[in-house]
Amino acid sequence: MSEEFAKLPPQVQERLLRLQQIQQTLQSVLAQKQQVELELTEIEQALGELQKVADDAVIYKAIGSLLVKSDKAKVAADLNERKELLNMRATVLGKQEERLRSQMKELQTKLQQDLAPVSGTQP
Amino acid sequence: MASKVEEELRRLSVEMRILEQTAETLQARMNMINAVITDLTYANITLEGLEKQKENAELLIPIGGNSYIKARLETPDKVTVGIGSGVSVEKTLQEAKDIIKKRLEDMEKNRASLQQQFSQVVERINEDRARFEELAAELRKENPSKNV
Repeated sequence: MSEEFAKLPPQVQERLLRLQQIQQTLQSVLAQKQQVELELTEIEQALGELQKVADDAVIYKAIGSLLVKSDKAKVAADLNERKELLNMRATVLGKQEERLRSQMKELQTKLQQDLAPVSGTQP
Repeated sequence: MASKVEEELRRLSVEMRILEQTAETLQARMNMINAVITDLTYANITLEGLEKQKENAELLIPIGGNSYIKARLETPDKVTVGIGSGVSVEKTLQEAKDIIKKRLEDMEKNRASLQQQFSQVVERINEDRARFEELAAELRKENPSKNV
């Protein structure tokens, strides 16, 4: 693989490396996005459960391994704040994903053009 | 003819690799669900036992490392249950039992569905493997000198 790689024109080598780099970044962005979405789902579920309990119900919030007494309104406000923050983060990650995908597509098209004459001459 | 067989062998090989990865993912998820089921089962047993205890009963609370601290049961009818995102709500013993039971049922359903998917994937892998060996033998017969 590395021997064949070295035979390619420098510009193509550079594009291939760049493509690989973009793919790695995209993987990392996708993993982060999935994590954020998971946390958002959990918050939605917690907020849904919270709605079902009485306003004066005894509620605890985890701080590290401790459960500290709180109340419904405060916990709901905290969760909504976190939700807002995560939604913003998800939007940013979504935009990053979009940008990386379009960069990848562009590079792939260029590489296809670069490699077309090479593969055409191969038996 | 040989190239067609070779092509099919390549396809099978790729498919088997993907299926094996899928099987591993499913297995990992089943292991996770099994751990949750064990945890919920313990909670259920504890709640069942707690029901029979009276106020101020002397308890030993596990703190990990097979060690315990002494405590007294102040409110036997109150159980605090987590609802996700680090939030826990105080419930009556019966409510807590119902919640745990519901979670257990959901997990059992999940496990059954994963088990079914896993069996289907394993079956497909076995089919592919049999076909692969059949084709490889065919190819060896056609080209005895070629090492497939």
